[in-house]
Amino acid sequence: MTPSKKLLNYAYYPGCSLHASAKEYDISTRGVCKVLKIGLEEVPDWLCCGATPAHNVDELLSLSLCAKNLSLADEVEGDLAVVCAACFSRLKTTQHHLRHNDVQRKQVETAIAAPAPLGKKVKHMLEILAKDYGLDKLANAVTRPLTGLKVACYYGCLLTRPPDVPELDCVEAPTIMEDVLNAVGAETVSWSHRLECCGANFTLSRPGVVLQLSNAILDSAKAAGAECILVACPLCHGNLDIRQKEIEEGYNTHYNMPVFYITQMVGLAVGVPATRLGLESMMVNPLPLLKGKKLL
Amino acid sequence: MLLSNETMNIGFVRKVEALSGTSVRRCFQCGKCSAGCPMASFMEHPPNRVVRLLQLGQWERVLAGRSIWYCASCETCATRCPNKVNLAAIMDALRKLSWDADGPSKESFVQLANRLFIDNIRTYGRQYELRLGAVFNVKSGQFMKDLLLGPKLLSRGKLKMFHSKNKNVGEIENIFARIEEMRKKGEAP
Repeated sequence: MTPSKKLLNYAYYPGCSLHASAKEYDISTRGVCKVLKIGLEEVPDWLCCGATPAHNVDELLSLSLCAKNLSLADEVEGDLAVVCAACFSRLKTTQHHLRHNDVQRKQVETAIAAPAPLGKKVKHMLEILAKDYGLDKLANAVTRPLTGLKVACYYGCLLTRPPDVPELDCVEAPTIMEDVLNAVGAETVSWSHRLECCGANFTLSRPGVVLQLSNAILDSAKAAGAECILVACPLCHGNLDIRQKEIEEGYNTHYNMPVFYITQMVGLAVGVPATRLGLESMMVNPLPLLKGKKLL
Repeated sequence: MLLSNETMNIGFVRKVEALSGTSVRRCFQCGKCSAGCPMASFMEHPPNRVVRLLQLGQWERVLAGRSIWYCASCETCATRCPNKVNLAAIMDALRKLSWDADGPSKESFVQLANRLFIDNIRTYGRQYELRLGAVFNVKSGQFMKDLLLGPKLLSRGKLKMFHSKNKNVGEIENIFARIEEMRKKGEAP
């Protein structure tokens, strides 16, 4: 289908993880958009946003890498759809700096040898589903309601913070994930650790940090009666899913808690074929839970 | 203790404030940042004390310590500060100053991970996770780290054996080069 025939069309920035460790996020995003007739066109030659390591030691580099990506995105029509919470945060933060700091804007323009690209609206997939597509329409698109599934919606750090930047939802008490999940029929639990940090990129340098912080998150979700966790960030997923077995061994506990990406769960509900959700890539096998709830 | 330009080393404080775009001096030590910081237990100086040390002119202790490298950039502190001190930005500024001075801190693993991550962008344009992990293990001397995880990730297609360079890798190199050039001329921090 040509993009112009679809109601909603976006430029799509997958980010590095979605081509490797988070490939199920990419596969399921494309699956959901296909079913909902949302057009996605990948930004040509996009590059790494710099993520946390770049802004940690070199803010100008971080801003310049994101500005270059925004420039490349200008070549594709539509708002810019981003799914990784870290890429989303960096791209939005860059626009915020370029708009409010003339000195930095000029430095970035020199670095990328182009005018600061400020025209593109950067949107997270949650925002596209909840606001652009709309919760009512999403509820109507459901072919297999996720009835009886108890989900802990985990926001982590970068979907809502820092204040005034992502403009996705309330910075301390967001509900957008729960809203989307409720629209597709799932039950969302109330729990304490939905905005706590998972340890993020310490997974490479100091994995002990991740084990401690992610254990607290898994423990909190379990205590709230959740059967699975929902995330919107590849790093959160890596820490909670890929390192879950190590956490269980290290803390002598048992979770067996599948960790889904938002698009996997929405995809399941709106009828994306199970083979197009990347369920087989998850480290904690979700099939027993989904089969038990008659969702597969 | 009364703060004065002499006790706080105003030159250094101004440098941090210019880089971070936020005020070090406005902090009145309520401690809300440290109360919500997920990483405070790993730091020798929790976030509010990092700011206090800057206010007291003891910036060398901050740059030499591991606290700045154990910040996860979760931005909880910046979100909750009642005085709108953007502590996350102060942490970025301190890391840059430490980094530019070639890392007086003993926390080398986090710095190594950052270095490899940025090198990957310059060489390939995008992250190449398998290479990132493998080179980190070799350079940090932890040859066995996550060794059992590798095959599981490979079999699930979560690590790519081969990785190609971006077509526009030359343009990316130009961005790095132009930033270096601006710095040489003193036109950028």
